[in-house]
Amino acid sequence: MAINEDAILKSELRWAIVVGGIVAVILIAILYAALAMHINPPSNREYVDPKTLHLSAEFTEANLGTRVDPNGQVVARLIATQFEFVPNCIVLPARTPVTMRITSPDVIHGLLVSGTNVNTMVIPGYVAQVHTTFTKTGDLLMPCHEFCGLGHSQMMATVRVVPPAAFHPGPGGRIACGNRG
Amino acid sequence: MIEPSYPVTAHDYSSDAEELGSLEDALEEAPRGALVVSGIAVGLLMIGWLGMYFLVFLPRGPVG
Repeated sequence: MAINEDAILKSELRWAIVVGGIVAVILIAILYAALAMHINPPSNREYVDPKTLHLSAEFTEANLGTRVDPNGQVVARLIATQFEFVPNCIVLPARTPVTMRITSPDVIHGLLVSGTNVNTMVIPGYVAQVHTTFTKTGDLLMPCHEFCGLGHSQMMATVRVVPPAAFHPGPGGRIACGNRG
Repeated sequence: MIEPSYPVTAHDYSSDAEELGSLEDALEEAPRGALVVSGIAVGLLMIGWLGMYFLVFLPRGPVG
């Protein structure tokens, strides 16, 4: 490799091609995950009045937790509040599409379910909604991951993922951690 | 005049042409070395990225 301008330009061109190839591979991988594997950042624009959550149709205390809707859709509704999730344990079936709907009456919270791609912020005034399918069974930790105050580090819940055969909702399609049907 | 007890030059070239020749030989290797170092660095970065993508990100299942 002679040290002249042509050689330098050729070397830079080769390097640019390599970097361009790497960027293309990463973009293709991201598009494949989004389009073929349905892995996308959760996005949902839905408003709710944080001052009257306890009076709302959806987020009243009796309506929180996991419920199988008449159309078969499994939906878990939670409230993230300083410094706990209500309820602090939810049961969901594995290998089944499920929806989690969460909102906050006080400050910004966040949640992730360990070992999965579930990860969203919970902002007062909005309903965070996550569609997912759990691939493994077991008790998964769900901590708050957005600093929400002095008790933030104690704010965590459990997502109990059970095999579909062990998922037996009770009356009204309800199922809770203490009641596996 | 007192002779220093250490070499005054790193190399004792007999002519300027010989020194320039050695310098050019050394500089010819420089781009190849830079490519090897940057290739290893970027290669390791890509292996790490693809490892996280295929072994962690995809097995964690769909979300949206």
